[in-house]
Amino acid sequence: MGNALFVVWRESVEAILVIGILYAWLKRNDSDGTGLRALWGGVAAGIGLAAALGWAMVAAQGELSGAALEWFQIAILFVASGLIVQMVPWMQSQGRRMKHNLERDMAQAVQRAGTLGIAIVAALAVAREGAETVVFLYGMGMEDNPGAGMASGAALGFLLAVLTAWALNRGLRFLGYRQFFRISGFLLLLFAVAFLATGVDRLIGMGWLPPLMDPVWDSSMLLDDTSPSGAVLAAFTGYRARPSLMLVAIYAAYWIGIMFAQRRLAHHG
Amino acid sequence: MSIRSLAGILTTTIAFMAALPSYADGMPTFNLAIRAGRFVPEVIEVPANTKFRLLIKNEGPGAEEFESIELHKEKVLAPGASSFLIFQPLKPGAYKFFGDFHPMTAQGHFVAK
Repeated sequence: MGNALFVVWRESVEAILVIGILYAWLKRNDSDGTGLRALWGGVAAGIGLAAALGWAMVAAQGELSGAALEWFQIAILFVASGLIVQMVPWMQSQGRRMKHNLERDMAQAVQRAGTLGIAIVAALAVAREGAETVVFLYGMGMEDNPGAGMASGAALGFLLAVLTAWALNRGLRFLGYRQFFRISGFLLLLFAVAFLATGVDRLIGMGWLPPLMDPVWDSSMLLDDTSPSGAVLAAFTGYRARPSLMLVAIYAAYWIGIMFAQRRLAHHG
Repeated sequence: MSIRSLAGILTTTIAFMAALPSYADGMPTFNLAIRAGRFVPEVIEVPANTKFRLLIKNEGPGAEEFESIELHKEKVLAPGASSFLIFQPLKPGAYKFFGDFHPMTAQGHFVAK
């Protein structure tokens, strides 16, 4: 039961945190509720996609079909990462716009694109880890001693993940307006880079991307990513104790790009 | 970042990856089976400083996630599924891997010599 609890918690917490941050943001900014409806629609679509993808992973037994699925899953990572990066400046400018009480009509087209973005990000976040949870639960059912203990473990793990997001939301609620935007935006950008890092590692693992130099350094003496705390950091920030040069280059390019975009936004916003 | 530039990035990435189809050919291959939450074999000896391919077959009954944090590899395998992973040249030493869905029993390591 303990294992099922932990696996389900870990597989679902990331998606639930992303949804939690988007929810907190929409609660502050979404006057007519379209954004929230889009969010829940995205979550529902994500659950459907997770079930379909999980089924495909169970059905795809061979190496070749497995590789095709791997493509799809890696694409999810990159698209989710790219969409978040695109969404955060929009969310920031949106917050500013509301604050200065500018005309709403002008922003309506942007609004529609933005809420669609929110829905897609929620869907992809759910689909990504949800599919692995589906495979895990399916496998649990195949094992000789599934029992009620495992099922309740899985349910408890999911509940704990929801609680984690709830706790984060409570924390965000105490923040002032400006701080809230800064911190929620930064958290989303961290999720995006963690998706990106996982995607790059998976491409390298499939032999589709050269690592250039692997590893560039070894900081496992300072902070070991195989330790529990290091593993959490790895999952949420893309930290690696022994990164490849390819990953370091992409990681650096990501944050430099974000810095430039933020500077531009600060000038034009 | 607009949708168009995002699409541009995706297309470039895919074109780049499609240009590297034979990247994984002609390297030593090792087999790893997963049976009832355990790895068979639990120790895999690999040549040091050589790129290699690991063929993983999950013989079930449960699902498994092959994972090596130090080598940044993870792969979910449904019961009965097979897949592969490409490993970059390793310096001599031992490198742990484990089954994320059965962490108590599914433990193994590579020995690079």
